[in-house]
Amino acid sequence: MLLYPRICKALVAGIVGLAAAPVWAASLAAFPPKIQLDNARDPQRIVVVKTRDDGVTLDVTKDAIFRVEPATLATWSDQLRLNPAADGEGQIIVEYAGETLSVPLKVQGAGNNPPMSFRNDIEPVIMRSGCNSGACHGAASGKNGFKLTLFGFDAAVDYDNLTRDARARRMDAAKPAESLMLLKPTGGVDHEGGTKIEKDGPLYQMVHRWIAEGANNDPAELPTLTGIEILPPAGVLEGAGATQRFVVQASYSDGTDRDVTDLAVLASGDDAVVAIDGTGLGTSGSRGETYLMARFGTFAMVSQFISIPADTPLNWPDVQPKNFVDEFIHAKLKKMRVAPAEVCSDEVFLRRAYIDTLGVLPTVEEARTFLSDTGPEKRGALIDQLLQRPEFNDVWAMKWAEALRVRSIANVLDPKAMHRYNDWLRQSIQGNKPINELVRELLGAEGGTFTSPASNFYMVVDQPPQMAENVAQVFMGVQIQCAQCHNHPFERWTMNDYYSFSAFFAQVGKKGSSDPREFVVFNRASGEVNHVKSGQVMAPKFLGGAVPDLAGRDRRAVLAEWLVSPENPWFAKNIANRVWEHFMGRGIIHPTDDVRVSNPPSNKELLDELGKRFVAYNYDMRQLIRDICNSNTYQASTQPRDPAIQDVRNFSVAQVRRLPSEMLLDAISEITETKVKFASLPLGARAVQVADGNAGNYFLQIFGRPTRESACTCERKNEPTLAQTLHLINGDTLTNAIQAGDSRLTKRINEQAPTEQIVEELYLAAYSRPPRSDEAQLMLDYVAKAPDRSQALQDTYWSILNSKEFVFNH
Amino acid sequence: MNHSSDFEGCTCPGPPTRRDFLKVGLLSGLGLTLGDFFKMQAMAGTPAAGTAAAESVIFIYMSGGMSHMDTFDPKPFAPIEYRGELGVANTNTGDVISGLMPQLAASADKMAIIRSMTHGEAAHERGAHNMLTGYRPSPAIVYPSMGSVVSHEYGPRNDLPAYIAIPGVGDPFMGTGYLSAAYGAFSVGGEPQADGFQVRDLNLASGVDPVRMESRKGLLASVDSHFRELEKGDSLDAMDSYYQRAYALISSQTAREAFNVAAEAPEMRDRYGRSYFGQRLLLARRLVEAGARFITVVDGGWDHHVNIRDAMRGQLPAVDQGLAALINDLNERGLLQKTLIVMCSEFGRTSRLNKDGGRDHWPKAFSALLAGGGIKGGTIHGRTDARGAEPTQDPVSPMDLAATIFTQLGIDPARKLMSPGNRPIDIVRDGKAVRNLIA
Repeated sequence: MLLYPRICKALVAGIVGLAAAPVWAASLAAFPPKIQLDNARDPQRIVVVKTRDDGVTLDVTKDAIFRVEPATLATWSDQLRLNPAADGEGQIIVEYAGETLSVPLKVQGAGNNPPMSFRNDIEPVIMRSGCNSGACHGAASGKNGFKLTLFGFDAAVDYDNLTRDARARRMDAAKPAESLMLLKPTGGVDHEGGTKIEKDGPLYQMVHRWIAEGANNDPAELPTLTGIEILPPAGVLEGAGATQRFVVQASYSDGTDRDVTDLAVLASGDDAVVAIDGTGLGTSGSRGETYLMARFGTFAMVSQFISIPADTPLNWPDVQPKNFVDEFIHAKLKKMRVAPAEVCSDEVFLRRAYIDTLGVLPTVEEARTFLSDTGPEKRGALIDQLLQRPEFNDVWAMKWAEALRVRSIANVLDPKAMHRYNDWLRQSIQGNKPINELVRELLGAEGGTFTSPASNFYMVVDQPPQMAENVAQVFMGVQIQCAQCHNHPFERWTMNDYYSFSAFFAQVGKKGSSDPREFVVFNRASGEVNHVKSGQVMAPKFLGGAVPDLAGRDRRAVLAEWLVSPENPWFAKNIANRVWEHFMGRGIIHPTDDVRVSNPPSNKELLDELGKRFVAYNYDMRQLIRDICNSNTYQASTQPRDPAIQDVRNFSVAQVRRLPSEMLLDAISEITETKVKFASLPLGARAVQVADGNAGNYFLQIFGRPTRESACTCERKNEPTLAQTLHLINGDTLTNAIQAGDSRLTKRINEQAPTEQIVEELYLAAYSRPPRSDEAQLMLDYVAKAPDRSQALQDTYWSILNSKEFVFNH
Repeated sequence: MNHSSDFEGCTCPGPPTRRDFLKVGLLSGLGLTLGDFFKMQAMAGTPAAGTAAAESVIFIYMSGGMSHMDTFDPKPFAPIEYRGELGVANTNTGDVISGLMPQLAASADKMAIIRSMTHGEAAHERGAHNMLTGYRPSPAIVYPSMGSVVSHEYGPRNDLPAYIAIPGVGDPFMGTGYLSAAYGAFSVGGEPQADGFQVRDLNLASGVDPVRMESRKGLLASVDSHFRELEKGDSLDAMDSYYQRAYALISSQTAREAFNVAAEAPEMRDRYGRSYFGQRLLLARRLVEAGARFITVVDGGWDHHVNIRDAMRGQLPAVDQGLAALINDLNERGLLQKTLIVMCSEFGRTSRLNKDGGRDHWPKAFSALLAGGGIKGGTIHGRTDARGAEPTQDPVSPMDLAATIFTQLGIDPARKLMSPGNRPIDIVRDGKAVRNLIA
């Protein structure tokens, strides 16, 4: 929590002042922020960005004045590229519109012009030119007799294919220009793929030189690529046609870096918002936000850019942040020129808070009490109160059961074990077990599946790789399954990562017990995972982390320690994002279980802060929920401030969402005071409490309850369908609930309750508000005119339960 | 979906890899959605200039990657490790197809076979996206399935949903993509082959007659009006639209009866075969006859990495019987010319049998079948090399196939639909209708 106050002060200052005059500090920045030229062929572009008071970023590189000090260190060439001239250290002074900036400069090896490297120079040329894509020579069987590894994942194989295969005719060191490797892609001879490399252009020259040097393989001690950046990392472009130049920087294991803009593959997530060309020039288009992605070697990185129309002043309403959530949300909205919606009414807040926190609607009495309460802090008080209710535990037990795929599996996961597992989850939530502790217990689970319920975690899937996939997806939000078969072309996970992460589960043992329905999970202390291609035994390695010392320990316990530790950058943020999504209807990274470079968060600063707080709160979900629910962002109305703009990603406005299937069914039962019988649960149990992913009924199925066949959050469906509509209109769920002999309505009819009372109660039960007078009148007239009062009253229930105000959370 | 890969010796994991690129939907910044539904509605208008040869499509999707070598593109003169052991049947047009398809061989004069289908996606979900949407998968947007586009362009006819899936929506890319959920498929929700099969909730609840239903509708409209004025959103619009369709469907005896496959004579049910596949096609025929626009029939289990010979012997006869019955039955009813039948798969399979006697994924070359709907019968379009590995003549892309389907339906493939953020997107981009296939 040390970081927060600092950020917060700055933000508050900005926000408070903004309504009058913007006070964001004007700033000038250079990219890369320091320059190091490592040899004679290491030129470096420099980009200068001015951030205007209102957040708009301007590429002022062309208008800035640069001064190299001392001037002997480097010289300029085209496109503002700095070339090394003499070794030494100094700086570049950048001046723009009265502001000055110093960029440290270091030149080493100015006289050294190293030979071309296959891995660091030639493979990038091949990739940039598209030769090793899946549609061309990167296909599993190559193309027209020439095969490259997909996106250059195996340089050794590529080197052999290029230099040895086909009787080495692809290379001619004596006459490099006659080499097939140059003739083919330049169209010098017939090439099905067309012209890929411009003859005599820079890429051509690199390959030409490499062949002339003997098409040598790399020395063993070649520096390896350790990462890339695309700079500037973020910005705001104003008006269609605004431009920003990007620089892609690669870092190597020997501490050198390199401008690889000309060698990287550049792409925009959405060309219509900001497009990028092969030289790194980005151009804005229509309003929106997108990422610009650079791929180089096995790395991919993105820069996030916003495009706003010209002449879009910030009309910031008088909305104050209630807590850090609002501060981060408002900061982003200001950049987007979107004003947050007003705060919702008490009626709307009440219903929303109950649905999101408890999965139930407020009862008639609860609604009356809250709406008539005049206290100033009643919303915060309600949130505190809801967080202590038992229904909260049901909701989160269900959510965890969904992620952990709790379901019965014939001969593997007996219903009794499954119920124990589900109960254990519920009790953990009820006891406010810190989530890191819950995860530690799951991963390290041992013992009988009846007596030690967490051990069922290992019964849901059978093989170590699938256990690893689930752990990555559920606890880190990362999907690694593609890397089972191939290195991912755009993402960081390799097959080595996949199998070495799987190795943590290689020693999970399962055996029968005296009860044929129960299994015992134990640590076999032996067993390994082999890489599917090389056959090599893989040492357990944390995903994106280190190879731990496992001496004498259960591998899973070691993994669990790392998983929930601060060294794992994913865990806390991922859980926080899942909590956020539950309340806001959308993740900051969305979907929450698909964290990857090309799916960046819509508000990174907020996600980071939520993750930090979750750790500081000792992984207490309730604390985090309190922060979220007390924010104006959560309590926003569903009406956008500007009706022309409906924001989905930046949380300026609340989203109208259909109730999830279980909660919709429970709400019908609650309003009609009827019960649905679920298999193996007592009558009166709610749908939220159904433990088995394989159980449920027709209603739950068509409204999109997940069957838990995978850990994917995409299993839950919220889209409307014709089948849902038909079921609400004609189906037995509503018909039975309304007409049952002991339904709320039947009881009222039998009690001879007046229509006014029945209608008011129905509105409070379904909408958490009393009917407006016109609504009450409508119902009264309908009932009065109908030939059969009971049927007419049933019709009022039918219409409310079919209405959108009921079916949606808003 | 049984997910496997083209990488030898490796079985890929379960379904969720589709998430690689799925659901990114509203990637661009604001994700503007307000009113997009209405804009799309407004843009819908009249779909196309020109005349439609076909009024309906029965799109039969063989999920998993049906082997072209063992169905429509056998290579009887290739070595045994390529051609397999299934033999050939002579078609009534002088060509050959799989030996397990004698009935289709005898109906070949009514169908066109494309032997030069080709694309570059060897993963199930990416291949399925190609074939079901006519677009390569994109990280920025999810494209609508062809059925959803047809639903958007034509809407319901005779109160039947425009887009119906039998037995259900079996693939994530059979969805509505960037279009509103209102254009989604209606799942019949069960196997027409099963005893007592019926589509749920088509009939009014007991105690509710049409008069009472009418007054309920009126009451609901009044109850909803205030909220609907206030709240906007695509899911609300979509739900409204489903209510309208549900009312229409419920009140039409003819439309409801179209789902009643049990009304067919036992002889007719036998003719299609009492298999899942045969009865799905029979229901598809009833629905098309009654006015449905786009029926997708999904048949799974074609991902034969292991022992493809025995699998084909088990699975192909039902396909042969059902599909031949559909073509001939439609023809006898005079409906074949108005009904375009398409059968395809996400890709084909490797021409050489693997060590397990199976074949692995192969998108470079595979086959598709078309019949009726203005398609020239007896056509063999395109060819592959001697081992069925690469197209050597007239390659056809998924975009070309999609353009052909839309063209036959009278929908201009170059027409633009509005996606969220007001981006107009071509119904088909980079695809050309295959003239040689069209009568």
